[in-house]
Amino acid sequence: MLKEIINLTLLQHTIRTATPLILAALGGLLTQHAGILNIGMEGMILMGAFFAIVGSYFFSSSLAGVLMAVGVGILVGLLFAYFVIDLKSDEFIIGIAINILAGGLTVFLLRSIFGVKGAFSSPDIVPLPRFRLGFLEGIPLLDTIFNNHTVFVYVSWILVALVYVYLYKTPYGIWLRASGEFPEALETAGVSPRKMKYISSIACGVFCGFAGAHLSLGYLTLFTENMSAQRGFIAMAAIIFGGAHPIRTLIAAFMFGFFDALGIRLQVVGIPSQFTQMIPYLGTIVVLFVVAKSYIRKIKKNVEGES
Amino acid sequence: MKKLKNAEYLISLFLSILASLIIGAFIMLANGRNPVTGYVALINGAFGSKYNIATTFAKTVPLVLTGLATSISFRSGISNIGGEGQLYLGAFGAALIGITFVNLPGIVGIPLALAASLIAGGLYALFPAILKVRYNIDEVIVTIMLNTVAVLLTSYLVNYPFASEIGKMGGTEIIAEGYQLSRLVRLSTLNTSIFYVAVISIIMYYLLERTSIGYEIKMVGQNSNFSRYGGINVKRRMIFAMVVSGALCGIAGAFEVLGVHYRFLQHISPGYAWDGMLIALIVKNNPIGVVLMSIFFGALKTGSISMENATGIPSELISVIQSIIILFIAGESGFKAKIKSFLANRRAIKKAGEKNA
Repeated sequence: MLKEIINLTLLQHTIRTATPLILAALGGLLTQHAGILNIGMEGMILMGAFFAIVGSYFFSSSLAGVLMAVGVGILVGLLFAYFVIDLKSDEFIIGIAINILAGGLTVFLLRSIFGVKGAFSSPDIVPLPRFRLGFLEGIPLLDTIFNNHTVFVYVSWILVALVYVYLYKTPYGIWLRASGEFPEALETAGVSPRKMKYISSIACGVFCGFAGAHLSLGYLTLFTENMSAQRGFIAMAAIIFGGAHPIRTLIAAFMFGFFDALGIRLQVVGIPSQFTQMIPYLGTIVVLFVVAKSYIRKIKKNVEGES
Repeated sequence: MKKLKNAEYLISLFLSILASLIIGAFIMLANGRNPVTGYVALINGAFGSKYNIATTFAKTVPLVLTGLATSISFRSGISNIGGEGQLYLGAFGAALIGITFVNLPGIVGIPLALAASLIAGGLYALFPAILKVRYNIDEVIVTIMLNTVAVLLTSYLVNYPFASEIGKMGGTEIIAEGYQLSRLVRLSTLNTSIFYVAVISIIMYYLLERTSIGYEIKMVGQNSNFSRYGGINVKRRMIFAMVVSGALCGIAGAFEVLGVHYRFLQHISPGYAWDGMLIALIVKNNPIGVVLMSIFFGALKTGSISMENATGIPSELISVIQSIIILFIAGESGFKAKIKSFLANRRAIKKAGEKNA
């Protein structure tokens, strides 16, 4: 029984299911650093998944699909930024509106472009290329786990490193973080916080576009209604879990991906998977609680120290 | 002054809805359909016959409850985004009573089922409220997370311990006959829950607009420091608002079970709490506005099905229209500020020009 659940496929699945979470979470943590809580990621992923299919189907190229997903991601990121930053609308109202818009628009277009309800699949959709790292081919274990994934799996890891360097080793990263923490100070330094917030929001759209493309063009080439299936919210959980630090967020995303994959394995064997699926959500609440408690303790200590 | 502000808001609301419907018309045109026939079919579908009107009002029931739930929480400055989870637990609680105490007469059973849903929803909202007021943990994130937890928990319950014998579709057994609210119009799902909802709406209106508690809730939401100095127990008011909000969502779930499906289903809500949230946001948490906007949304939902049958325009167009309305309303003050500064600029330039001349 246990052998059926825990095997190499489980690890392979973990990598696969963690990838959209990593991608979306990277985008979300950029806006988080810029002081924006983006709960519209769910909708951004869904739109990305849909338009990736549209691009790949009509241009017979997975690259076109990815570009389409990214283009739409940029548009939605701009829309979000315009309302939240320029019109000063409530960020979470706009997030909800984007999620509902994405849910409605993708189904509407699914039916008006492809004339189907529920799901769309076609042999004309070109999937993302699979990637093999040559040097792993000789090693049986690593070969099964790490090879033969879509490009985004590897891209996501590289992006984690890039985002880390960007945030902590370049002046732009400092600006971005300052735009969330000390916008006035940044303004005084002659950098526009508005610009940094815009950049983070657009980047979030792009990364969610990647996440969507990985979902719909990655392993099964198809689009189903609501296929983002809460991944935007799990990505948000990963960001909070990882304290918006790219590497800790990556670890959180892997952990959540693992529980997701484990849930699928459990279902295969006939064990209820609902409880493993709950872990990211409950875990996030626990983390928030622990952080808040230690914060309160710190304040208390400071107060005692002063008196 | 207040009247002027209200009038200004009503004008922007009207313009927002109009603009969204026009955008909807362009989408229909782009889709190769005639928007006039589309909208005529929509209105006909929503109000064209006794059955259609009944269906419109049947769809209004959960929206009013979730809309009022959002209003009270948002007014107090604590955001309950967890309505969907509270609705699921409330619905399950009602169904549990309905399949356990099968011999109770309706007059005892229905209030008992409603009480169960109210307690389930209220308690599920109490938890994030306590985290918020005691530890200052962001309730938006916590309630979002709790939504999925509730959906997964009930999905487990109806697939394993409470799985029904009839068909493998993830639902409980049918509730006992005494619990089933009677239908009002043949073929439509409109049932007596609409009367309960009318009473609840009136109570909520009085609570929010006519009592000191309602006034305090509003004060807390507008300026919690000021209210604290004014002697209001801010924490207690926030918790109260949140629990009432959760209880209303729980009841919304109960009516889906008692009046519509007669059992709990694992996908019982197609996002009623999110719709209710949109409604409350559009009408700025005004209870009368919630009722009217819910009827409007109910009509859109019902009419869109007929529109689809008559013209082939996919009914999902209306959720696109709804989200555009909320974008306009959310951007309202921003748009106004932009227009005002634009006009002021022009005036300034004109003045400067006159001076120079």
